[in-house]
Amino acid sequence: MATDIGEKIKVMAVFEKGVRPVKFKWRGRVYPVKEITYTWASKEGEAPIIHFSVTDGATLFELAYNQNELEWTLNKVDA
Amino acid sequence: MRTIMHLDMNAFFASVEQRCDPGLRGKPIAVIGSAHRTVVTTASYEARKFGVKTGMNKYEAKRACPGLIFVVGDNRKYIDTSIRILNILKDFSPKVEAYSIDEAFVEITGMSSLFGEPATLASLVKERIRGELGLTCSIGIAPNKLLAKLASDMQKPDGLVEIREGDVATLLEPLPVGELFGIGPKLTAHLASLGVATCGELARFPVSILRERFGIIGERLALMGQGIDTSPVIPAGEEGEAKSVGHSTTLKRDISERGVIKRHILKLSEMVGARARRYGLKGRKVTLTLRYHDFFTFSRQKTLAIPTNDTRAIYSAASSIIDSLRLKSAIRLVGVAISDISKETGQLDLFEDGIKRERLLKAIDEINKDIGAFTITWASICDEGAQVEGSGVISPSWRPEGVKRVEVR
Repeated sequence: MATDIGEKIKVMAVFEKGVRPVKFKWRGRVYPVKEITYTWASKEGEAPIIHFSVTDGATLFELAYNQNELEWTLNKVDA
Repeated sequence: MRTIMHLDMNAFFASVEQRCDPGLRGKPIAVIGSAHRTVVTTASYEARKFGVKTGMNKYEAKRACPGLIFVVGDNRKYIDTSIRILNILKDFSPKVEAYSIDEAFVEITGMSSLFGEPATLASLVKERIRGELGLTCSIGIAPNKLLAKLASDMQKPDGLVEIREGDVATLLEPLPVGELFGIGPKLTAHLASLGVATCGELARFPVSILRERFGIIGERLALMGQGIDTSPVIPAGEEGEAKSVGHSTTLKRDISERGVIKRHILKLSEMVGARARRYGLKGRKVTLTLRYHDFFTFSRQKTLAIPTNDTRAIYSAASSIIDSLRLKSAIRLVGVAISDISKETGQLDLFEDGIKRERLLKAIDEINKDIGAFTITWASICDEGAQVEGSGVISPSWRPEGVKRVEVR
């Protein structure tokens, strides 16, 4: 089962024809994004959020990008 | 002659979860509403092979399939995927009806000049959905919605079945009536008591008796037996006025304490009120629905002196209903709805209190719309230990647009 995290994180992403996270730093460790397995959109009030289900090859993470605040959050981790 | 396509996503929630997590692909999984809830909302086809079904509790499901993996669902994921599927369908026809989160009807009459024969169009739709989302669906094509739905049910998963006009009588003759969309177990049993088991028998049964027994739907039943259905495909935004606005929630755990149940009622009243205010609707009747832990479900209604969309008035009515009830067991589901709907006239309240109240609700609604639902809410919902989170099971009446669109987390 996935564990809820909800922590703001730093993400290196490519903004070309949309957004594509490449790697992110969480609790001092850098995780490469080996595969974006799924993406979906939602809204938090008026703020559009893009969700990314990503894996570093071992662990599944859910990242969320708030397009109004330009902030990334690590929502879930599923080891 | 019309040509209707019915699209049914295969094990929708479970398939989306398997796309998200490569580790779940090819494995038996079951999606559940919350970590605390025990009912399976969707099972993957791998799990279905072991007999795992929607509605089973966790323990039954695990007994049927010891290797079953439970996944807590995320409605936002499914809603966005559903909207993307509807957008793909809209590239093939302007007449797309979202029937539920994982089903849609599409009127494709006259589209052959653009996309080829109906089966070719359906194959293109399947390719797009598979290519863009990695998901499979079953598609039925037929001269009407009733038969298109029947066709999509005939081949799962990843099916494509076309029922042609000339094949209808032969197909329906031996078909059990319960296979038809709209004829549930109760109606099937009722028809069986009249000696009607198949569609052929239903088609030949005297309409006068059906009308006498079933009232207005008697005639419709006779037509269904013949595979006749004239109901149109209704695109989003053309559904007509809403007859009710409601919300229900399956609680994370069964609850007996009235105080906690009332906090859920307040939260649901606020959700109903906010949505009704957003669309300028008011209701004169307030309905409270409760489900016991054994799934026994009942509703009670209260008629108000004047139509309302004020959270406080809705809560007050729903609350008075529960006060008048003697609950026989713990509650599993709570629902609040307003009906007997009328459009807001924009007429101001005569009294200062009423005007202040309308302004207050308007301000709360605007802030919540901007920042997020329940940013400002009733203090008692936030009470310590209130535990007013539901299990997050999405309503079958969910629609992608209009008053039936419910924002979920």
